Amino acid sequence: MSAPPTAPSSAHPAHPDQLPADGSVRVGIDDRFHRPAPRAAGVRRAAQIGSRALGPLIVLAVWWLAAAQSWVSPILLPAPGTVWDAAVDLVVSGKLQENLAVSLVRALTGLGIGIAVGAALALFTGLSKAGEVLIDSNVQMIRSMPILALQPLVIVWFGIGEPTKVLLVALAVTFPVYINTHAAIRAVDSRFVELATTRGLGRLALIRRVVLPGALPGFLTGLRFATSISWLVLVVAEQINATAGIGYLMTQARTVARTDVILVGLAVYALLGLVSDTLVRLIERKALSWSSTLQAR
Amino acid sequence: MVLDAPGTLTPATTTDDAGAAAPAPVVVEAHDVRRAFDGRGVLHGIDLTVRRGEFVALLGRSGSGKSTLLRILAKLDTDAAGTVSVPALPAVAFQDSRLLPWARVLPNVLLGLRDAAARERARTLLDDVGLGDRARAWPRQLSGGEQQRVALARALAGAPELLLMDEPFGALDALTRIRMHRLLRDLVSRYSPAVVLVTHDVDEAVLLADRVLVLTDGRLSLDEPIDLPATGRRSHPGFTALRSRLLTELGVGDDDH
Repeated sequence: MSAPPTAPSSAHPAHPDQLPADGSVRVGIDDRFHRPAPRAAGVRRAAQIGSRALGPLIVLAVWWLAAAQSWVSPILLPAPGTVWDAAVDLVVSGKLQENLAVSLVRALTGLGIGIAVGAALALFTGLSKAGEVLIDSNVQMIRSMPILALQPLVIVWFGIGEPTKVLLVALAVTFPVYINTHAAIRAVDSRFVELATTRGLGRLALIRRVVLPGALPGFLTGLRFATSISWLVLVVAEQINATAGIGYLMTQARTVARTDVILVGLAVYALLGLVSDTLVRLIERKALSWSSTLQAR
Repeated sequence: MVLDAPGTLTPATTTDDAGAAAPAPVVVEAHDVRRAFDGRGVLHGIDLTVRRGEFVALLGRSGSGKSTLLRILAKLDTDAAGTVSVPALPAVAFQDSRLLPWARVLPNVLLGLRDAAARERARTLLDDVGLGDRARAWPRQLSGGEQQRVALARALAGAPELLLMDEPFGALDALTRIRMHRLLRDLVSRYSPAVVLVTHDVDEAVLLADRVLVLTDGRLSLDEPIDLPATGRRSHPGFTALRSRLLTELGVGDDDH
């Protein structure tokens, strides 16, 4: 341990049992104060990623072995190579891109509508007594219902076409955005509102300078929930009466027992979820740079 | 007094002219201000006049109602009885710096100011408080003392006639506080707003103000000018005398200190 003894941690006094026999007192060599040098941190991070990848690599190897040794039927679980070939075929024929585009448009449209509605409702209820009375209790009531349970009703109302799929995504997205943004607006520090008063800020300026930036972290938390839930709802919506989309591709594959294509579809969904989560994290980092604890002076 | 031309002294305010002319214009005029919370009276009829350029320290024990009075003057508490007349937008400095964490330093200083000259003035003030090179920093990148200096720059950026301060240095360490005292004295002499400083620190009051008020149980129990030189007060014989009188007035004997 090379940490200099400059960080006496008075909060954790040495327990008598832990004192060395020679009577000397060891002061404050606490791992929490030991920060590795940037270069070391980079190496450690690479090692971390490497060890994180180890698990999936082992699974892949076992999968490959199982297929090569014919431990499982290729109908149930085709070899990794077969799945890869299926993916290449789908890309070459353009089927994957086509259906991916349809899925993306559904997800993004639903997300866009849901985010706009959720944020607008949250602003209305967060900023006015009337909104709180009229809307909040209703929203709180509806949100305890699993959104997918609304599917039969939405199909009866809007048919089995695109609007139903987009609407389901939008509905599912609205609630996390609304709830998190609403809570964040309510939690905006009243001391800042007081400050705004002494600076003569009008209502609009107060909203723009204090309420919106103050509620942004909550909104972004809602956004993260929203993106992950949007894929979940889309998967279900796309497997019913769809004529295009990744879910449709997988349903079609099921009817002809193309397990490899089903696995390709799953991989695409996983990638989509990963990419959208990364995007939201990037947005978060950018938008909340003022609160970043990592920022150097 | 302002040195106008070589050898000519021009009065900055007319108060210095030994009663020959009218006194400086009134900035704060409060009459019979009363405030009660849930039937419990906190202020029982305060009369207060503050004139332009005056630096008034408002002393009181905790619970004496000094912060309540300041909030009334700042128009943050509008449920008080009595009449209060203050400038349209008095500047307020709080005990916490109260910088918007999501705005950089310069926009924080400019908060609520829209006139074209404000930007220039804000830059000058940041230079004045020694933070001219931190205009683009986020508040959380600044130390507590630096944040309070930005808050001071913000308070003065609107060229206020009246500056209200509620224990602005209470949360700072002793050394930073001494530096802030000097800075505040410089800034006040440069921008000459009327100042009402709420504090429970007798030394702070005697060092900075030219008039001291003591609030006891919701009434002004003492109101007198501080007749000490602008600088070097701490070593002046009058300092100790006034200090112990104020401590006694606040119910703390000098020996207890």
